[in-house]
Amino acid sequence: MAEETFVLEFPSSYKWLNMIDLMCTEITAGMDFSKDALNEISISVIEACTNALEHGNRCCPDCDVKAVFRRRPDRLVVEVTDCGEGFDFKDYLKHIPDPSDIHKKRGRGIFIMKAMMDSLDYVKVEKGGMKVILEKMTDGGGEEDDD
Amino acid sequence: MKYRIREAGKVTIIDLSGKLMGGYDADVFRDLVHELIEKGMKKIIVNLAGIKWINSTGVGILITGYTTLRKNRGDLRLLNVSKKIESMLYVTKLNLIFECFDDEQEAVASYTR
Repeated sequence: MAEETFVLEFPSSYKWLNMIDLMCTEITAGMDFSKDALNEISISVIEACTNALEHGNRCCPDCDVKAVFRRRPDRLVVEVTDCGEGFDFKDYLKHIPDPSDIHKKRGRGIFIMKAMMDSLDYVKVEKGGMKVILEKMTDGGGEEDDD
Repeated sequence: MKYRIREAGKVTIIDLSGKLMGGYDADVFRDLVHELIEKGMKKIIVNLAGIKWINSTGVGILITGYTTLRKNRGDLRLLNVSKKIESMLYVTKLNLIFECFDDEQEAVASYTR
């Protein structure tokens, strides 16, 4: 199977997150993922999109979130891009808040994505915006070295 | 997110349905918890059977409800936590904070033990 790519752009509104959940279900159908892995993918991609619309785009109706799903033989790669100013991800990781702290209402999204996906990275987009890249290896994959 | 309130003795059950994901949901749930506290209904069970999915903001909404009730000498416990929600609670160690139940009778009884 060669790489298949699916692109979805949607306005920065919570009501469209359900569509992301449906996309995850459809795109991962037939891929070698356990039920737990499928849940982890869905949770993580929704987190990435929530962060993009809330923090990146500040729920601005004129700013879209772009989600790109890449189906590869041994993995799923999802890239979520917003229009925001971005942040220093490596610095954030040094001070990642304790997710079990009940005095914190927010700040668990990145922790959850990092725990549930095999790979998580943030890059600034040249023309403006921030892109998060999530990867999940299939249950039969992950044995080859990364290029 | 939609909700329905019912009582089981001195325990109040909030049946949630839809999605719990932030934005307007936060305001609705916060106002609901305050309203229940004002009425003296502080033994709360949140039934998540009808919740299709939740994000970390939704978890934050439950945490806010929990801390508000605890400050007012009440409590918030969870019923019918799906696999997805369970894994989020587990990864964030919030499973050590929230008491979770699969059976409504057991959940209600937990307030009388």
